[in-house]
Amino acid sequence: MSESSPTAAETRRIAEVARDRVRFEEEALALSDQVYRVARRLASSREEAEDLVQDTYARAFRAWQQYQSGTNLRAWLLRILTNLNIDRGRRAQRTPDVQPLEEGDYFLYNRLESTLAEENPDEEKVIERLSQNAVVEALAEVPHDFRDVIVLVDIGEFSYADAAQILDIPVGTVMSRLHRGRRILKQHLAERAVAA
Amino acid sequence: MGCGCDDCEQMMQPYLDGMLSDEEVDEARDHLERCPWCERRYRFEERLRHFVRIATDEPMPASLREKLHELRSTPPAA
Repeated sequence: MSESSPTAAETRRIAEVARDRVRFEEEALALSDQVYRVARRLASSREEAEDLVQDTYARAFRAWQQYQSGTNLRAWLLRILTNLNIDRGRRAQRTPDVQPLEEGDYFLYNRLESTLAEENPDEEKVIERLSQNAVVEALAEVPHDFRDVIVLVDIGEFSYADAAQILDIPVGTVMSRLHRGRRILKQHLAERAVAA
Repeated sequence: MGCGCDDCEQMMQPYLDGMLSDEEVDEARDHLERCPWCERRYRFEERLRHFVRIATDEPMPASLREKLHELRSTPPAA
C-alpha cells in the first residue's frame, strides 16, 4: 500500500487550496480598516468594537471556504460581524415601539440657522455649529435598528441591497429606517448645537 | 418663511439618494433653481452627510491590526 505518499494531483490540489486561503486572508485583512470603521459605530465602545472585529476575522478565517469568490467580501465580513453583535445580546436593548415624533428634514438646518445672526448663511457656517463630538454622541443615541442602517449606508457606504443582506431585512425596510434614522439623528444633533 | 412647499422637504432624501424618477429629478432641479431657500437646505444636507462620515471616523488601533494579522493561517515570514 502506498497510501502515505500523495499523488502529484493531490499535492497540487493542496497547494492550490493553501494559496487560495492565503489570498482570501490578504483580501480580508486589506478591508480591516473599513470593517473597523463600521464596527466602531455599531458597537457601543472601542473595546467592544475591537472584540467584534477580532472575533469576526477569527470566524471568517475558519469559514473562508464558505465565501464565494467574486462576491462582496466586505459585505460578507460585515454580515458575520452583525450576527456576532446580535449573538452577544446586543438586541437585549430593543428599539422601543414608540418613537418620538420626528421633525421634518429641514428641522436641523432651521434650528442651526436661527442661532446665527447672519441672514441666509453659507451652509459651511451652519455646519460649524456642530462639533465632531456632537455627531458621535448623537449617533450613539439613535436606536439600534435605525443606527445600524445609517452606519452601514452613510458611514460604511454600502448599497441598500448590501445593507439589506447584511442585516437580513428587506430593501424597503433599509430605506424607511434610513430616512427615519437620519431624521432622528438630526433631532439629536439639534439638541447639541454649539452656541454661536 | 420658506417656499411653503412641503413636497420639497419630503423629496430631499430621495433626491440626494438618487431614488427619484427622471421626471421627478427634473421637477426637483427646476424648483431648486428657483428657490434658494430649499437649495441651501439641500446643500446643507449633503454637507452634513459628509461631515457625519468624517466625524465618526476613528482609525483602527495598531494593536488590533497586529492581532488580526496573527490570526492568519500562515504567519508572515520573519
